[in-house]
Order: sequence, then C-alpha cells, then structure tokens
Amino acid sequence: MIKINGKEHFWYEGMTIKDLLKNLNNSHLYAMVRINEKHISMPYFEKPLVPDNSEVFLIPMIAGG
Amino acid sequence: MAEYKMESLKTFNYDRPVIEKGYTNQTLCIDISDGVISIKPVTEKMKNVFIGGKGFDLWLLWNAVHGTTKWNDPENAICIASGPMGGTPVYPGSGKSIVTTISPLTGSVIDSNVGGYFGPYLKFSGFDALEVTGKTSKDVVIFIDGIDEKVQIFTTSGLPDDSYTLSAILTEHFAKGKPRNISVVSTGAGAKNTRMGCLNFTWYDLKRKRARYKQAGRGGIGGVFADKGIKAIVARWDTVTTKTNNPANANILKEVGRKHSKEVVELDPKQNQMSQIGTTHLVSIMNDFDLLPTHNFQYGRHAEADNIGQEVFRRIFDPGYDGCWMGCTLACSHGVKDFVPLTGPYKGTKVFVDGPEYETIAGCGSNLGIFDPHTIIEMNFYCDTYGLDTISVGTSTAFAMECFEMGLINETHTHGMNLSFGNRLAALEVVHQMARGEGFGQIIGSGVRQMKIIFSRDYGADPDLMQDIGMEAKGLEFSEYMTKESLAQQGGYGLALKGPQHDEAWLIFLDMVHNFMPTFEQKAEALHWFPMFRTWFGLCGLCKLPWNDVVPEDNKDMPEPAKVMKHVEWYADYYSAVTGRQTTPDGLIRMSEAVYNFQRIFNLKMGFGQREHDNIPYRAVGPVKAVEYESRAERYDKQLVEKHNADITGKTTEEKIVLLREFRETLYEKLKDAVYKRRGWTNNGIPTVETVTRLGIDFPEVLELLRVHGVEG
Repeated sequence: MIKINGKEHFWYEGMTIKDLLKNLNNSHLYAMVRINEKHISMPYFEKPLVPDNSEVFLIPMIAGG
Repeated sequence: MAEYKMESLKTFNYDRPVIEKGYTNQTLCIDISDGVISIKPVTEKMKNVFIGGKGFDLWLLWNAVHGTTKWNDPENAICIASGPMGGTPVYPGSGKSIVTTISPLTGSVIDSNVGGYFGPYLKFSGFDALEVTGKTSKDVVIFIDGIDEKVQIFTTSGLPDDSYTLSAILTEHFAKGKPRNISVVSTGAGAKNTRMGCLNFTWYDLKRKRARYKQAGRGGIGGVFADKGIKAIVARWDTVTTKTNNPANANILKEVGRKHSKEVVELDPKQNQMSQIGTTHLVSIMNDFDLLPTHNFQYGRHAEADNIGQEVFRRIFDPGYDGCWMGCTLACSHGVKDFVPLTGPYKGTKVFVDGPEYETIAGCGSNLGIFDPHTIIEMNFYCDTYGLDTISVGTSTAFAMECFEMGLINETHTHGMNLSFGNRLAALEVVHQMARGEGFGQIIGSGVRQMKIIFSRDYGADPDLMQDIGMEAKGLEFSEYMTKESLAQQGGYGLALKGPQHDEAWLIFLDMVHNFMPTFEQKAEALHWFPMFRTWFGLCGLCKLPWNDVVPEDNKDMPEPAKVMKHVEWYADYYSAVTGRQTTPDGLIRMSEAVYNFQRIFNLKMGFGQREHDNIPYRAVGPVKAVEYESRAERYDKQLVEKHNADITGKTTEEKIVLLREFRETLYEKLKDAVYKRRGWTNNGIPTVETVTRLGIDFPEVLELLRVHGVEG
C-alpha cells in the first residue's frame, strides 16, 4: 500500500511511476511526482520503481516562472 | 557603522487621508532638482481605467516624459505604487510594489515588481503612488513618514555605497526603536556604473533582527535612481491589520483570504514546497526537461545541475519564516545565514544573503557553466549589495563568455581575464569590476545590446553571429528559460511589452509538456489571457505565486486547469471585497487589457512598440551552431522530416540548420500575426482605434500617436 496525496492506493511489486499514473484520471497533468523526498520528472517516469509504503505527491507544474 | 551626516533640506507636512476601500486617492510627487514636494489627486476615471499599481505608475510616467526623453533626463520619473489590495495581511502575497521608469537598457518603459514593505507603507502613509523626477548633484535621502505625517528630503554624506550596509543603517536611523516600521529602497555602486542596476526593497525580519531585501531587478531602474542622486527612499508606518485598507467588505475579505491561506498551508508542502525551498525546485525540473539554460542558452541540460538544485539549497537555507509581506503563507524569500564571501569588500566576513532564487541560480550559475552553489550565493550577495540585476548580469556575462570561447573577443579585450565558461573567479571579478566602474566588467555591465555594438565596432567581431547568440530583445536580457522547443514561450518573451521577462507569460510547460495549445489560435489565446491576468496582479499590489504555484487538488477536474479558475474566482472576490467594485474573472481581464494596451502605446510614444521590435535572437528559436544542432540531432532531424516534410538525405549539419531556421522563423512570424489579431492590434503590432476606444484609453494623445503611425478609425 502507498499513499498518493495523502490517500491510500494499492501497490504492486515492480510498479513504476508511469504505471501508477496510468490508473489515474488526467494523469497527463502531472509533470512531476515526489516520492518521499525525491522528485522525479516526466522524462524519467518509466524507470524508477515506486517502493511499498511510499508517500507519493503528484505535482501539477503548470506554472514555474 | 559608518560615520555619516544627514541634514534636512526640505520638510513637507501633510494631513494623511483616510484610506477608502484600498485607495488613498492621492499621489506624492517629488522633484528633487529643486526640492518641490506636492500632492496630486487620484480621480475616479484614473481608478476606473488604470486600477492602481502599474496602471497608476504608467499614467504618471506618461505625463512626465516626452517621446524624446532619455533615461538620464531629469524629466524621467521613477514611479512606485502598490495597489488597492496591497498591504492586506490576511491574503497570501499581498505586499507587492511595481516600479516603472524609462529604462537605460531599452530606452522605453520598464516595469519591475518587487516584494518588501515599501509599497504598502507608502500607501498607508497616504499615497497610492510615488513619482520622483529631477536630478541633484548631492546625495539625498527621501523620508516618507506616515506616522508623523511629513515628507523630508535630506542631504547626506558619509553613507556607504552598498545596499547591504546602507539598508541596515537607515533602518536603524529612522526606526525610533521599531525597525519593523521601516522600509528602505536603495541601490549600490554597480547601478552607477552599469545599465543593469536594480533597487533593493527591504522588509524587517523580526526573528533574525535584520533588514532583509527583495529586488526590483529588471531594466536598470537602479541606474536611474543613482543617476538622480537618490541614495535611498525610506517609508515609515506602524501597525498593519485587515482594517488598515478600510475594505468595503471586511467579512468577505477575511473569508476569501482564509480560504486561500489555508490552501497554501495545506498544499504547498505536498506540491512545490516553496515555503521551504523557494523557487529552487525549478532547477532540477528545468534540467530534466532540457530547459535549464547552460553556456549562454546553447543547451538545456547539464550533468552537474543537481549540485545547484533544491536538495542542496534545502540544506543551505536558514530555516524559518521568510515572508516578504506580513501574513503571507507562501513565504518563499529564503536566505543564507553566516555566509562568508571569498572575494570583494566583504571577504572573510559573515553576511546574510537574501536568496538565491531560481533565476539567479540559472543566470549566475548554469548559464555561466558554474555549478558551485557557493559561487552562486556570492554572486547573489554582491549583485544585491552593488545594486545589480542578477538576470542581466548572468545573461550578459554568459554572452561575453561565449564570445570569448569562440574567439570573437580575447584577453587583450578582457584586460587579461580568462572568460571561459565555468571560471568562477572571473565571474565574480566581473561583478566587482561593475561596482568599481572599471575594466571589462564595465563593458559587460552595458548589457548585451551595447556589447554587440562594441565588439563589432572595436574588436571586429561578426555582428550577424552576435545577433544570433546575444540573448536580448528590445534591449533587455532574457530571463532564464530555454525557449527553443516552445513556440508559445518564444512569443511569451518576444511579445512581452518590456522585453524578454517571464512575468508576462510562462507557457513552456503548458505548451511543450502538456500540449494544451497545439494550434496557432490556441497559442494566441494563451498569449492574450495569460499576459492579461498576470498584468492584473501588478495593478493590485499582489504576487502571482499563490495563483498557480499552488494548485487546488480538484483543479484537474476543472474545464480550464491551466488557468486555475478556482483561484481566479477568489481573486475576483478579493478585489470586490476590498474596492467595493463588484467584478468577475472576465472583469479582471478587462482591467488589465486597458493598461496593457496603454503600455504598448507608451512604447510607441518612445519610438518602439511595432512588429520589428518583437523580434528575438535566433538562439531563442533554434540551434545557431553545429554543436548545438548535433547535441540534439535526433530531435531536430525528426522535426525536419515529420513536422516540416523536409528531405534531409545527404544534408550537412549546416544545411539542416538553415532549413530548420527557415521553418522556425516562419512559425514565429505566423505566431505574431495570430497574437496581434487576438489582441486587437494591426498587423504591425499597434492597437487599433476600435481597441483603444473599447478599453477607454482613447485619449487625444493616444489617438494622435496612432494616427501618426497610420492607424485611424
């Protein structure tokens, strides 16, 4: 089990960020995620695995400057 | 503390008006040539058309200058204003000031927004805006004392030239034991000797017991300030509460302020964490998306970028509350405690550094090939202390470094300085030379546009090549984002009224990452709505960060998530609650449209403001050199084939660069057409008579300007 933006969410072995976002509506809005204290950007969503018991935050990143 | 003297030259007593719904209904005018201090009324029409803040500044400046006025003419005015909501402590980000003047870099109107207490204190002292004209050979300090209801001009001697110590001295001098009552506006020695001087606006940090500062950085306003002979402008005010602005409906104000504050407190820690790390989170993000400028905007990524990213600054920043206005829950103005510079007049001394923010990290770091956080912090400290804009310093030095590495200039020209990318000591020495007004640093301090002229005229450098790689438009240096892969952001920079600063439109992610605007019409719509809404913050005394750097969790379900409409609606409620003028989200856009178009016409008055002035260097559009192209050859080759249907078989890199350039420059011109049409401008980029009439800015002088430029009803 992991938490996404504070809400519990199922987890499975080998889950990548891309997998995780696939199950969410409007996942294209998230250019960044923070897993525990580590930020990962969209170009790197395919490789890193989401560890069990992670705190995941979805960061919209529509602004910047 | 330095030995100094201050002698009163002029004292002007006044009766402080009661603030009505966010307005004092008067402005303060000071001509320092002869020490004349006066008060002008703010009319209802002025409020209706210009709203406040930048709008009031522009109107005052418009009436102060002629089309032939130069930045260092006495008639040039420095105008500072907050806005009707400025100084509200219950709504996050409500302490901004906007400064306008005729810029030494662009020759036209510049505007720069800044935090700190000055704008609100000026208003609470009785003035919606301040206009300073004239010049003096003496060093003067202007003191606006809202508590004792007097304005004083002092002649001074012995005060230090640098903002860091000057701010501390003047805060103590005028505080009468309450330093939080004081805000100081000042600049430094660098502003006297360059065209990229900034202004520092202080806010008093009660916990750390020191004057902190924020910068009105862009366009060389500090140079105008120094040229006028102004050492500092100081405002004094007392306690601030929600009632100080005398809002039309305090209950609604408190309610909407509570909602937005609560959301920032709850969501910022989950999202960008700006209350902990400021804007430093952008470094790694920009790097990951190939958008972090490195080596004078040649590339968007560097293997060492993480050395200057958020995780490093999270450890370096001094923890604690860092709000540049009272009650702001975003509180992103972080700083570094007990920093010890390795160079310059503060070498070996512990100092407090305000910053760095993303722009400084990218401008004085990655874009110079510097990936050492301590050098960036030292550059940040000295730029602030000397009164220099870190963005223009960074982008100008980056240009000089590329010219040096390409052999367009050499050590004969740089007085023996090796200006290779990554040379940290050289970068710091450039800043010190700017402050001393000597050496090659002073040439860099004249800005990219001037350097292109000097390098070509005096050193024989290729002017066409420098035009392509010199990152300025309208005379202003680019701020720190790569735009090669975002046509909308090329427009965001190129079509910005004052020059390429991202505060008008930051569309890179919406365009490039989220693909929200695939068509020209959609890009044009974005380049209408976003600049208008961002302009509105500057009219009202507000910071834009709480709008879209903290995003509601249900935003993704909204019809237009890019606009964060829930917050836009709160801002409409906020405006209505303070001013008593009921408005809607569309009403906010209409307010900005009038001021925005007026500023475009102001550019026209100053000899700019037409299509040709919206051109940008090709480095902002695509790869100039073979090494740039080849570093992303797969991307560019694919675009040539799939997007432009080009046959690149057997073509050399140079031939492919020419092809790509032709396609991309054509797209940029088409974008101009679409944006001008959407904004109600002619194909030459001038507002039509119909547009200015619709917006209520059809003043006789405006219509005459349009007529002279061939635009008639």
